[in-house]
Amino acid sequence: MVGRVTQSSLVRGFIDHVQALQRRSAEAQEQVRTQKRINAPSDDPGGAARATRLRSEDNDLRALQETVGFGLSILGAQDASLEEAEALLTRARELAVQHANELVSPSERQQSAIEVEEIERELIRLANTRVAGRYIFGGLSTGDAPFVAYDDPGFDPNTPYVGPADPFRVRTGRDGETTRLTTPGDDVFGEAILALDNLRQTLLAGTAPSAEIDEIATAADGLRLERASVGARSRGLANRGEEILSSIGATREAIGEIEDIDLVEAIMDLQRLQSALEATMLSGQTLQRSIVDYVRL
Amino acid sequence: MSIFTPLSIGRSALLAHERAISTTGQNIANAETPGYRRQTTEFAPQDERHGYGVRVVAVEQAVDRFLEAQLMRQESHAAAADLRSDILDRVQDLFPVEEPSVHGSLDAFWGAAQRFADRPEDLAVRGDLIARAEELAARIRSVASHLGLQQRELDERLGGEADEANAVLARIAALNGEIVAAEAGGERANELRDQRQIALSELAGYVEVQTRESENGSIDVHLQSSGLSLVLGSDVQQLVRGVGSATGLDGNPLSTLGVQLGSGAVIDLPANPGGRIGALLILRDDDLAGHAASLDAFALALRDSVNAVQTDPAATDLDGLPGGDFFSGSGAANLTVNLSDPRGLAAAVGANPADNRNALALLDVREASQAGLAGANLTDFYAGLQAGVGTAARSARDEATLASSVKTSLEGQRNSVSGVSLEEEFTDLIRFQRGFQAAAQLISVSDRLLQDLIGLVR
Repeated sequence: MVGRVTQSSLVRGFIDHVQALQRRSAEAQEQVRTQKRINAPSDDPGGAARATRLRSEDNDLRALQETVGFGLSILGAQDASLEEAEALLTRARELAVQHANELVSPSERQQSAIEVEEIERELIRLANTRVAGRYIFGGLSTGDAPFVAYDDPGFDPNTPYVGPADPFRVRTGRDGETTRLTTPGDDVFGEAILALDNLRQTLLAGTAPSAEIDEIATAADGLRLERASVGARSRGLANRGEEILSSIGATREAIGEIEDIDLVEAIMDLQRLQSALEATMLSGQTLQRSIVDYVRL
Repeated sequence: MSIFTPLSIGRSALLAHERAISTTGQNIANAETPGYRRQTTEFAPQDERHGYGVRVVAVEQAVDRFLEAQLMRQESHAAAADLRSDILDRVQDLFPVEEPSVHGSLDAFWGAAQRFADRPEDLAVRGDLIARAEELAARIRSVASHLGLQQRELDERLGGEADEANAVLARIAALNGEIVAAEAGGERANELRDQRQIALSELAGYVEVQTRESENGSIDVHLQSSGLSLVLGSDVQQLVRGVGSATGLDGNPLSTLGVQLGSGAVIDLPANPGGRIGALLILRDDDLAGHAASLDAFALALRDSVNAVQTDPAATDLDGLPGGDFFSGSGAANLTVNLSDPRGLAAAVGANPADNRNALALLDVREASQAGLAGANLTDFYAGLQAGVGTAARSARDEATLASSVKTSLEGQRNSVSGVSLEEEFTDLIRFQRGFQAAAQLISVSDRLLQDLIGLVR
């Protein structure tokens, strides 16, 4: 401003100055109150957009975390069932070896067939294990059991599996990565059921089992292999969970860096503005003085 | 020269100083009157023919015409920027950082889709996905309808602003008439001119104008943008609101503003006539319409990409039937969820109801690049829209702050030319008081001279 200074321009300038300070301290107050640097997109448009993307990522990661937990529970249940199944086959193999001996009488063999039958029934029961109503060896289906029960009139040891033929996969990564949770039940238990049924029939006929011993051993190897695969996938999933957890941490930190204020700095700013406001108010008192106070006409 | 000359000189000096004192008084009285411009009394020596002494030539206003014109232009810019900042600040509330928001609902939708892929046969999970989708559609619809409402509000406000501008135009024309009449006698009608200047800067807030002063003291007003005249002497060409051919976001026609000529013909205002009216037109036709178009693109990309997965020929629902459209509607304003039965969601490929391969395909849409969104995915596009709205609001606010500080500084400059300084007026008062006293002394000396002369004769 140049030239003449008038009373009203002094007052106007004072008011403008006070208003500007009040506006800025109101903004600073809002930041301290919400502890957020961005309260509307205009506070930092680029930051708001980044925060929106990161928040979406955070939400996705938490959904993935839930899926990983779900997957681990399914794989854990499979591992437990497969362990039991292995034990059953071990017992069956013992029986087979025992009754392969020439000294065992046919009637003894026929008796042991009852035990093998029980093992077979138990194995099918294991193959139909459910977690939260879903068949863990039946593509996580919920309806009818994937394996025909031993006592079902339709039971055929050659085709005991009537469940889904496809494995069940879940999404475990933001880039579309998936993890397989199930192996079609046929591939897991088909061989074992058939081997057990062959053994049972051989024993029932009073014949000494021979090829059946190898069949059972092969089927047991198959179960062990599947169990190893379940374990590997379970470990992979657990690692994925760890990664997701640390990603969540990183994402939240990034959101915080964009949105959160440095509280100490914000409070200092606020105090500075408040003192500036007080000082300005004080200076306003001098506006009351004018030439009228000094001149006598 | 005669013995009476000093007496008449004294008399002229008394009258002139009296006039100067009353001008100073007028200045002091109006020191705080808005729009008042300081007046000065101009003296000139009286010539012999009129018997010597002093006379008041004029009472002039202290005015810088260039500054006044600049200030009016700035008045238009500041009014436009203020309004723009206010409106865009409200628009950005529709795209909040915190939930509830479209992006929050979108995230919730994808979260439900992830659970759907984990538990495709669970009816509760399926129902939740549909509920989230409904929430998302409702949120998008609500933003679209608010954009439409705001656009309609701006459109209606145009009519109001035009009416008010017309009242100001009428006032300027009337003052023109009064000023011409008052100044016909040679005296300047300073107070009327002050009032007219106030009216002119008020008008500048509505629409950007340029002015031209005629010889007789009246001012003609033209639109800055197209040169169309609004005031010619004491005649007014009013702004009129009409129904345009363009439709608004709510489907109803938008109005147009034009200048009605003496012949009755109406000429439309240009796209940006400046001032608040210009700001309203731009906000209505560019900003809000643009944001709504982006939101439409977002809604359509969501609808089409999700529907494409749901209606894939290989996809089947819980009953083994092919999937139907998930979303329906022709844009953001009427986006709805088409499915109501949770069993109708197509999670599977093939006949196995426990299959989730189509649900996994649905999840792929989350990060998929969308042709309709220039290759961005849904979240990134929305974040970009949010940033765009925020940037617009921020730059409008910065613009408004700048415009108002330029205006303040121009007002300060005008004040330093036209404003009343009490210190100055008081010194003037002392000056004129002394002048008056001296003139009185002159008269008393003349009086004594006359008395002496008369005493001589006696």
